[in-house]
Amino acid sequence: MVDQNKLREEINKIVARDNVKYVIGWEKGTYGFQVTPLFATCSEDVDKLIFNPLCIHNLAVFPMLGEKLPLRNGAKEDTRKIGLIVKGCDSRAIVQIIQEKGLDRDDLVIIGIPCTGVIDPKKINERFPNQTKTVDVEEDGKNFIIKTDEGKHKVPKEKFLMNKCKSCEFPNPIIYDVLIGKEIKSAKKPDYKETTSFEKKKLEDKWDYWEKQFERCIRCYACRNVCPLCYCNECMVDQLNPQWVRRSVNISENTAWNIMRAFHLAGRCVDCGECERACPAGIPLTELNKKLEKDVLELFDYKPGINVEEKPLLSMFKPDDPEDFIL
Amino acid sequence: MKNDNFEPNIVAFLCNWCSYAGADLAGTSRIEYPPNVKIIRVMCSGRVNPMFVVNALQEGADGVLIGGCHPGECHYVQGNYFARRRMTVLKKLLDYLGIDERRVRMTWVSAAEGKKFADVIKEVTEDIRNLGSMKQIRRTNSW
Repeated sequence: MVDQNKLREEINKIVARDNVKYVIGWEKGTYGFQVTPLFATCSEDVDKLIFNPLCIHNLAVFPMLGEKLPLRNGAKEDTRKIGLIVKGCDSRAIVQIIQEKGLDRDDLVIIGIPCTGVIDPKKINERFPNQTKTVDVEEDGKNFIIKTDEGKHKVPKEKFLMNKCKSCEFPNPIIYDVLIGKEIKSAKKPDYKETTSFEKKKLEDKWDYWEKQFERCIRCYACRNVCPLCYCNECMVDQLNPQWVRRSVNISENTAWNIMRAFHLAGRCVDCGECERACPAGIPLTELNKKLEKDVLELFDYKPGINVEEKPLLSMFKPDDPEDFIL
Repeated sequence: MKNDNFEPNIVAFLCNWCSYAGADLAGTSRIEYPPNVKIIRVMCSGRVNPMFVVNALQEGADGVLIGGCHPGECHYVQGNYFARRRMTVLKKLLDYLGIDERRVRMTWVSAAEGKKFADVIKEVTEDIRNLGSMKQIRRTNSW
């Protein structure tokens, strides 16, 4: 993992620049295994900055959420850049947003960190429940060293990693201005075994499974709010005329919402897993995203978030796209 | 599921320039086809948002048909290509969720193909009749 001091040193330089508004990173949370996003505007803030395997948030969501207030008479717009610390998957989200012209590359200072995998909060909270103080986690080869009140614990990495990290193809940031730490080699390949085996099930079994999942959806839209790629000014689900998805929470509307969410991420989702992490009902949303990722790769040979120059999947076509289903 | 009295409800989104004119030709040529299809005219098959399809299935359709011009003949040059990509992905997604992907069909019908239009409608109606009524995501309340 990355040397904290070197990270802070580099960020200090960037924060000190005149043309940078703030740098977004991570700081210690209030208790347990929590980590909180940090907006560093001065060097005192930078001292709080950390990076460890608990830094799971995809910070690429924040530049899109920045509020643009109306300007006073004669005032000039703040055109300073935003600094952003990114892991491999986060950088793909940034590439995708730039590709769609949601953000301008010149408005960002991207600080890349090669990432060896982050911890799944659900798994670790199950193993070490009721932590009242912040817990420090370090990485040591194939193990995590967890310092709780009861002492140091050495636990195998494989057991606590996020599922996405187990088959992460891009641990190194795709785009960056500053890279902290050394690039790592990864031979991991995306794993579609579960998706393929689920595809082969009977229609009724598939629906039974998803019906149980979608029934639990409370339609809080946390999955949308946390997603770096859901940045429409007005989401289709909020529109009242036409009202695509009605307000009532039942299986019909919940399914419609989940189809809509998944479809809007087809060929865009970079598999950062934030939607599933944020979901209070524990719906396995990444399964849907993964399915579409797999199909898009098989049908159109397309991987999102790799190339800034490329066009988004659904806004281009090839004359020889598959059309075996057409009458 | 199969019921002898079951008459499927099919919503067809037809493009103004080809498929709709094809349907018109089928009518003026007095070709018979099943009356189960409810036609909605759109300016281009590229106009069909996947949510049109989902909402149709929610609101009482057992199947949805999308008709466009033949590839390369779109009035807006490329609209039907986009529609094709979109529907490919949507069908895969529906299948993964356990909704039969055969309920969503797509066809290319030109303005001169009245006979083909009638044949397509016959085939789709027969397919949907065999699939039975759509149960999974039917809307039960109006709010």
